[in-house]
Amino acid sequence: MAFLTDAAKRWRVSIAAMAMLFVMAGPASAQWLNVPLPGTPRTPDGKPNLMAPAPKTPDGKPDLSGIWHADDGRYLQNLAGNGVEVPMHPWAAALYKERMDSLGRDKPQVRCLPHGVPDAMLVTAIPFKIVQTPNELMVLYEEFNQYRQIFTDGRTLPEDPNPAWFGYSIGKWEGNTFVAERAGFKEGTWLDNGGHPHTDALHITERYRRPNFGTLELDVAIDDPKAYPKAWKAATIHFKLLPDTELIEHLCENEKDAVHLGGGK
Amino acid sequence: MRTTLAVFVAGLGLLLSAGPALAHHAFAAEYDAKKPINLTGTVTKLEWANPHTWFYVDVKDDDGKVTNWGFEMGSPNVLLRAGWTRNSMKPGEVVTVEGSRARDGSTNGNVKAVTLASTGQRLFAASSQGQ
Repeated sequence: MAFLTDAAKRWRVSIAAMAMLFVMAGPASAQWLNVPLPGTPRTPDGKPNLMAPAPKTPDGKPDLSGIWHADDGRYLQNLAGNGVEVPMHPWAAALYKERMDSLGRDKPQVRCLPHGVPDAMLVTAIPFKIVQTPNELMVLYEEFNQYRQIFTDGRTLPEDPNPAWFGYSIGKWEGNTFVAERAGFKEGTWLDNGGHPHTDALHITERYRRPNFGTLELDVAIDDPKAYPKAWKAATIHFKLLPDTELIEHLCENEKDAVHLGGGK
Repeated sequence: MRTTLAVFVAGLGLLLSAGPALAHHAFAAEYDAKKPINLTGTVTKLEWANPHTWFYVDVKDDDGKVTNWGFEMGSPNVLLRAGWTRNSMKPGEVVTVEGSRARDGSTNGNVKAVTLASTGQRLFAASSQGQ
């Protein structure tokens, strides 16, 4: 490279940049991957202003609507935080160890079953969409085309509900924090990729804040006395907004992948 | 041009932030990062499907023996956000695949990047490695 003049080097760099432009611009214009969304605050050059204040609904509450993804994968393996050990009842500790030792081979999603809560929001590359309406807040998970409804119309959690993969959720505002309570879970999901287990006694409290247009923060408290002697808290999870884009359909296609695992073609 | 550049920068940002992608199954349960592979051959089939895109490549060894390898990438959605389309790689094309071999020693692998021989273009495969 030393024999190239500065001008030649610049020329090579610009050729590489142009090649990348073609690579990126092609698919981008053909999909709804880049679509200017109304209501997005913008800087003078037209880019989304992620540092702008969080939007508000007509009644003055923060509006959490948007497409979000975890800002990195550090929560995914261990919800409690890197290296943090959560005290468990012996059966739960044994199950957790088995899941860790087998490197997550038997995760429910390998068979196209749902991620647990809040695991479903933790995969960095797969976003979810929040749609906030006056009486409910909807969470649309891109992965597996799943959804969750958090009712804000004043109802209480159902008593003795039919157990559900995503449980039952109600929410209310405490100042600028949205507090969701979830219960009524079916057993079988993992709380995180590492495999923290839960039972049907699981009760989750989530506290969401949107400090600015581009950031969502979530604190999660796990209360499951059948699995954990004490309630515990996850490390604060940070989500980033994906501006000017849309979710993409993602159906888990008939466990097609399962045939490959273990060397199959 | 400015719009195109913004699209490019946004795309690049996504590409960089996409990083470890896998949600569906654990990389470490299936693949061994200590068994890197770098193979060149002809694409025989592409399965552009969730939860993982798979493609197959006929690889000829030094003795002329042909083995059909199976390669896993991220989901189509993650690949779309990283700049791929379903037409980026077609059967019959010669490609070089970088990645990690299956833990069980089979001729399957997890892909980090694919280089297309026809254009020299190197596409990142939304690998699950590291997650």
